[in-house]
Amino acid sequence: MVQQANHPLPPAFQLDEYCIEHQLSLGGFSIVYVATDIHGTRVAIKEYLPNTLALRGEGKTAPVISEDHLPAFRYGMKCFFEEGKSLAGLSHPNVIRVLNFFRANDTVYMVMEYEHGRTLQELIQKNRAGVTENFIRNVFTKMLNGLREVHSHRLLHLDLKPSNIYMRNNQTPVLIDFGAARQTLACDTPMLKPMYTPGFASPEHYSQRELLGPWSDIYSVGASMYACISASTPQAADGRLEKDRLVPAMVRWEGLYSDQLLETIDWCLCLNHRYRPQSVFALQKALTEAVIPPTPQPKAKWLDQMVGKFKKSRSP
Amino acid sequence: MKFTIYQESRAGKRANNEDRLAHCYSRDSLLMVVADGMGGHYFGEVAAQIAVQTLTESFQRQVTTRIRDPFLFLQTGMLNAHRAILDFAGKHQLQDSPRTTCVACIVQNNIAYWAHSGDSRLYLLRKGRALAQTKDHSRVRLLLEQGIINEEQASTHPDRNKIYGCLGGQQTPEIEFSHKTTLEAEDVLVLCTDGAWNGLPGNLMAVALKTANLMHAVPTLLAQAETRCGPQADNLSMIAVRWQDSYVDESSAGGSLISTKSMPRETVTTRLDEFGRNPRHKTELSEEEIELAIEEIRSTIQKYAK
Repeated sequence: MVQQANHPLPPAFQLDEYCIEHQLSLGGFSIVYVATDIHGTRVAIKEYLPNTLALRGEGKTAPVISEDHLPAFRYGMKCFFEEGKSLAGLSHPNVIRVLNFFRANDTVYMVMEYEHGRTLQELIQKNRAGVTENFIRNVFTKMLNGLREVHSHRLLHLDLKPSNIYMRNNQTPVLIDFGAARQTLACDTPMLKPMYTPGFASPEHYSQRELLGPWSDIYSVGASMYACISASTPQAADGRLEKDRLVPAMVRWEGLYSDQLLETIDWCLCLNHRYRPQSVFALQKALTEAVIPPTPQPKAKWLDQMVGKFKKSRSP
Repeated sequence: MKFTIYQESRAGKRANNEDRLAHCYSRDSLLMVVADGMGGHYFGEVAAQIAVQTLTESFQRQVTTRIRDPFLFLQTGMLNAHRAILDFAGKHQLQDSPRTTCVACIVQNNIAYWAHSGDSRLYLLRKGRALAQTKDHSRVRLLLEQGIINEEQASTHPDRNKIYGCLGGQQTPEIEFSHKTTLEAEDVLVLCTDGAWNGLPGNLMAVALKTANLMHAVPTLLAQAETRCGPQADNLSMIAVRWQDSYVDESSAGGSLISTKSMPRETVTTRLDEFGRNPRHKTELSEEEIELAIEEIRSTIQKYAK
């Protein structure tokens, strides 16, 4: 979240041809609003407003950018353009679509399709029981269609995580927030730190950014699948490099999901980038493979469960 | 945890900013660090960077939701930074190892724990008064305590920059710890370097930050301090946090309130500026280039529109 929070534009604000409804999210780099266009169609508008460089006070329209920060602000704008450009060139049902791009209030705006639904993060938290083998295979195989398209445009997402995968109400996933994608170009700008999320970012994100490749996004996909099952963020890769405390999916959930799925997750989460699936296609192949369903465990009675617990606590 | 936080560092009238500051927080714990580096050839900067980085990194590593023993954490963190600076000096065969002050504070369970070495300070401000303040490890403060000089003489004393406790020096650093201090809602903690406190008496700070929005108040205070210090103004840095009741209604405090309630366990948010390069060296986009870029994106959108 944000340290120096920027004030969002107020509801009912007329921004170009759009009317702002409310703020959707606030990030370190931008603010996203829900708005309606002249036809009354809902859209999402992303406003470029890095809070390290530009601050908008309450009730103001244009941000205050100090002279010192102007070059970096403009440089960051370049990155925002890169994000816009890369998204504009992508037309795929599993990637968020850009509808317009314009300049106003001393900054720039990207208009995107507004989708009804919620993020995968919210979905799995609301419905723990829904995270079945089929659910994971389905969601991630479809999501990977989008990621394949991204990679085929020589782009990396670099910030894949459940909160950046948006689930439409019809259960199809859409990749959102390509804010980190620009970092392939801009990692030498001190004011715009490389963006990543600990737990989902690959080891390359931290130290060897020259090694970033499709396999780095694949690590994040593995971490996202892991997080879906565990309902928590996996150990961060830099910590794993020092002392790996991440329990392999195969060890943690054996019997609950098919071995093949769990092995695939662990495969994606290899610390060495060469040992992971090297392309999205390879991973999709693994996810769509026909497998033997896990042997259903006989439902233990509560007494057996208790006895089992005691046994377990004694054994280590 | 709920709080608002703001940090800012200025070079003052110096060519180089050797102050470093950072804060990071997990769901139930907040760490703030301020360091003021000393040493020729930009190495002071390195020392300060090592200090804040060592502490934030070990926070990220150790925190699950809370830090088990905050004082132990602060002590180990600062000593590790001290050794890392010595290592750096050894590796680069520096005659005189760079040094840095350090003040760091952890807040969790509504309790603040802080430690410092050198003359960077922490103030605890409550209801418009400075309730507590760290004691500088400086010669001038000793003289002042012994009654040899008075406040006024202290502010102009030739030795006022001489400090004895710091990380990276020849001796093991002197680290002084606070008591466990319970925070009340609306309490403000300020961590700052001497450049900032030189021009700002604690009470003035307390009044200025009593109810004001930190986002506006801190820059104003720093600007004031900078003016007061005149053409010799040193680097000035400040982190200020306003502690809020966990039960306070989020909407009442405006958009900058941070609530960590919904943060996943073992996630840490960090604010630490990367090691300094001047953003001015970056090529700037001209107006025409901006227009051109937008035009290009629009035409791409057109091309792919159904």
